[in-house]
Amino acid sequence: MGMRRFRLVVLPAVLLFVAAACGGDGGDEGGGGGEDTGTVNVLSALEPEEAAVLNGIIGDLINPNVDYTAEVEASADFEEQVQIRAEGGTLDIILLPQPGAVVDQAASGNAVALEDMGFDIADLQATFGEYFLSLGEYQGKHYGIPTNINLKSMVWYPKDDFDKAGYTVPTTWDEMIALSNQIKADGGTPWCVGYESGGATGWPATDWMEDIMLATAGQDVYTQWVKHEIPFNDPAVVNAGQLFGDIMFAPGYVLGGADQTPAIAFGDAPGPMFDDPPKCWLHRQASFITAFFPPEAEAGVDYDWFPFPAIDQQGTLFAGELAVVFRDAPEVKDFLTRFMAEDVQCAMGSEPGSSRISPNVNVGPDCYPNPILAGASEVLTAGLSGGTAGFDASDQMPPAVGSGSFWTGMVEYMQDGPSSLNSVLDSIEKSWPAS
Amino acid sequence: MKTSTHDPASATEVVAEAPPAGGGAVWIPLLRLVGALVVPLVGFFALWATFDFLRDENANRGLVVGVAIVVGVGGVFFLFWAMDRLVSLLPARYREGVRPYVFVGPGLVILSVFLVYPVINTILISFKDARSESFVGLDNFKFVFTDESMLRSIRNTAGWIIVVPLFGVSIGLAFATLADRLRRGEAVAKSMIFLPMAISFAGASITWKLIYAFRPEGFGTNIGLLNGIMLGLGQQPVPWLQEQPWNNLFLMVIMIWMQTGFAMVVLSAAIKSIPDEIIEAARIDGASELQVFRRIMIPSILPTIVVVTTYMVINALKVFDIVFVVGSAETNGTEVIAERMIRWFFISANDGRAAAIAVVLFLAIIPVMIWNVRRFREQEATR
Repeated sequence: MGMRRFRLVVLPAVLLFVAAACGGDGGDEGGGGGEDTGTVNVLSALEPEEAAVLNGIIGDLINPNVDYTAEVEASADFEEQVQIRAEGGTLDIILLPQPGAVVDQAASGNAVALEDMGFDIADLQATFGEYFLSLGEYQGKHYGIPTNINLKSMVWYPKDDFDKAGYTVPTTWDEMIALSNQIKADGGTPWCVGYESGGATGWPATDWMEDIMLATAGQDVYTQWVKHEIPFNDPAVVNAGQLFGDIMFAPGYVLGGADQTPAIAFGDAPGPMFDDPPKCWLHRQASFITAFFPPEAEAGVDYDWFPFPAIDQQGTLFAGELAVVFRDAPEVKDFLTRFMAEDVQCAMGSEPGSSRISPNVNVGPDCYPNPILAGASEVLTAGLSGGTAGFDASDQMPPAVGSGSFWTGMVEYMQDGPSSLNSVLDSIEKSWPAS
Repeated sequence: MKTSTHDPASATEVVAEAPPAGGGAVWIPLLRLVGALVVPLVGFFALWATFDFLRDENANRGLVVGVAIVVGVGGVFFLFWAMDRLVSLLPARYREGVRPYVFVGPGLVILSVFLVYPVINTILISFKDARSESFVGLDNFKFVFTDESMLRSIRNTAGWIIVVPLFGVSIGLAFATLADRLRRGEAVAKSMIFLPMAISFAGASITWKLIYAFRPEGFGTNIGLLNGIMLGLGQQPVPWLQEQPWNNLFLMVIMIWMQTGFAMVVLSAAIKSIPDEIIEAARIDGASELQVFRRIMIPSILPTIVVVTTYMVINALKVFDIVFVVGSAETNGTEVIAERMIRWFFISANDGRAAAIAVVLFLAIIPVMIWNVRRFREQEATR
C-alpha cells in the first residue's frame, strides 16, 4: 500500500509541477531594463558566423571610442526572444529582415520612432534613399534604419562560353529577347529556370514577376501593387505577367519547358549552365545562388552576371534588413549613427567572411574586394538614390498572398500556360485578405 | 482507502458506482467540489506566483533553477500531504467520499486548463476574423466548404482514411499470418517490417522524398531510386511528386510503409493468442488453409483488427508531417485538413480560418473516437 500511495501522490504532483513550470517558463537573461545600462544590445537572427564578423568590426571601430559596449547577438529563437525581451524591457535594437515585421513592432507600441529618438529624417533619407526608409513607416513616423541590402535583379551567364560564342550582355529587354533568339538559333537553350522549393515552391517565379513589374510600371505603381491600392489583376500586372510568359512559354526558350519548372529545385536550376557545352545560357536569381554553383566554378571566369535589363524603365529588386530601436537612450542613437557611418559600413564590406552590402548610398563599390558584391552595390546604390528600387513584393504582401496564393498562382500559370494568366491573377486578387 | 485506487481514473469510477453511505447530502458534494477544484486551483496559482516571483529576481540562474525545483516538487508534495491531512480531519463518514476527489482534482484542473479551455476557445475563434478581433459569423466555415484548396484537402483526407488503413491492415495481416508460419527467422522478418515504425514521420518523408526525387533531362543525374529504375528500364524520368492526382497515393505509401509494422505486430500477437486446439480441430475436420484463415482466424482477431483500423484512421485524419515535408501541398494538389490548419494559422496568419478547420477536423474525429470507445467497452464487458 505504501508504494501505491506514493505513486498516487507523485503522478499528479509531477503533472502539476510540469504545468507550473510551463506557466513560469521563459528566458530571462541580462539585467533589468534600466535607462543607462552601459551596453547596447543588438538582437538578430543572423548566422553566428556573420554576427561574429559584425562583433569584430564593432569591437575594432566603435567600442574603443565610446563609453558603452555594443554587441550583436545571434539568436536561434529570434522571434520568441524579441517577444519576451520586449515585454521585459531588456531590448535595445533588433535587426528585422521583413519591413512588415517592422510595422508590426511599431503597431505593438514597443518600438521607438526614429523621430522621437532625435534622428534627422531628411538626413537618413539622403543616406538610404527615401524608398528604403519609407518601408519602416507607420502612422507618419519612421521605425526602421536599413542595415543590410542584397540584390535580386541579377541574370547569370557562363562567361567563358558566352564570350567564346560571341554573345554580348543585353541592357534592354528587347536585347535580351534578341539574345535568347540568337542562342536558340545557334542550337542552344537560352534559359534555365527552377521554382521547386518544398513548401515555398513558386517563390522564384514571384521574383521574376516583381522584376518585370518594377521595370514596366515603375516604383510608384509597384508600391501601390504591394499595398493593394491597385488590384492584383490590374492591367499593369497583366502586362507584367504577359512579358513573363513571353520568355517562359516561348518554344525552346526554357530548358525542360515551363510546365517542368515547378518540379526543378531552385538550387539545381543553374546547374546545366556549367555543362560543356552549356545546356542553358541565362539564369535569373539573387546573389545567394552562387552558393549552389559548382564549387570549382570561378566568378568572373566561369560565370558572371548582368543586372536585369530595363523594359520601360530601369528596375532594381532588392531585399534587406532594418534595425528597430526599443530603448530611447543617447547611447543607442550614438551606436546606430556610428554603425551606419561610411567607415564601419566599408569595413564590413571588405570582410571576406561577410556577404553584406551596405544600404548607405555613400559607401562606394570600392569597399568590396569581391567583384560580385562591388557590382551589386553599384546597381543598388543607383537604384536607391535614383528611385527605381523596389523591395521584394511577396515579402511585404500579407502572408496569405505573399507566401501563399502568389506562389501557387505563379506555379499554376507555368503549368496551365499563357491562357491561364487572367484567371490566375483573378484568384490571387480574390485571396487578398479583407482588412 | 478503497482497494482499487491505484490511479485517479479508476478512483472516480469506483466512487461513481458506489455512492458513499450516510447522510450529509449537502455537505459531501460541496466538500467534493472544494477538494477537487478549489484546493488544486489555489495550489496551482500559488506555485505560479512563486515562479513568477523567482523569474523576476536577478539572482544566479542556477540558484533560481534549484530553488524552483525544490519549491515546485516540494510544494506539490506538500499540497497533497496537506490535503490528505485536511481530509483526515473530516468526520469519518465524509472522509472516504471526499478523498478520491481531492486526488483527482489536480488532474481535472490540468485537463480543463489544457484541453477543455482550448477546445472552447478554438470554437469561439472559429467564428472570429483573421486576428480573432470581431465576430464574422459562419464566414470561416463557408470558406472551409467552398475554397478550392480546402475542398481538395477534404477529398484527399477522405482518400487517406480509406487507403491507409485498408492497405496498412491488409498487408500487416498478410505478413502476420505468413510470418507465423515461418520455421525460422520470424523475429528477424518481423523486425524488418517493424523497423520503419522507429523513424519519425519527418525523417521518413525526407527518405521517401529522395526515393521520388526527380530531375528533368539536362539538370544532372537523377538521384531518385524510382527514377533510377525508370531510366534503367529505358523510360523517361517521372516527376512523381507532381503527378496529380497519383502523387496523393505516393504520399500515402509513406504512411503505409511506416504503419504496416505496427499492424503486423499487434495482429501477430492476436493470431498467436488463438488457441491451437481450435485451428487444429478445423484442420482435422478438413478445412482448407484459406477456410481456416477466413472462418477461424479473422473472426477470432476481429476486435484487434477493428482497434488497429481505428488507430490508423485517426492517424490518417491527423496526417500533416508527410504532406508538409515532401513538398508544396498547394501546388501539387496534395493538401490535407491538418496541413491546411497549420498553413492558415502559422503561415497565412488567419486565426479564424485555422480554428474553423480545426473544429471541422475535431468533429470528424469524434465519431471515430465514440465508435472506438464503444467497441472498447463491449470488449471489456465480454471479458
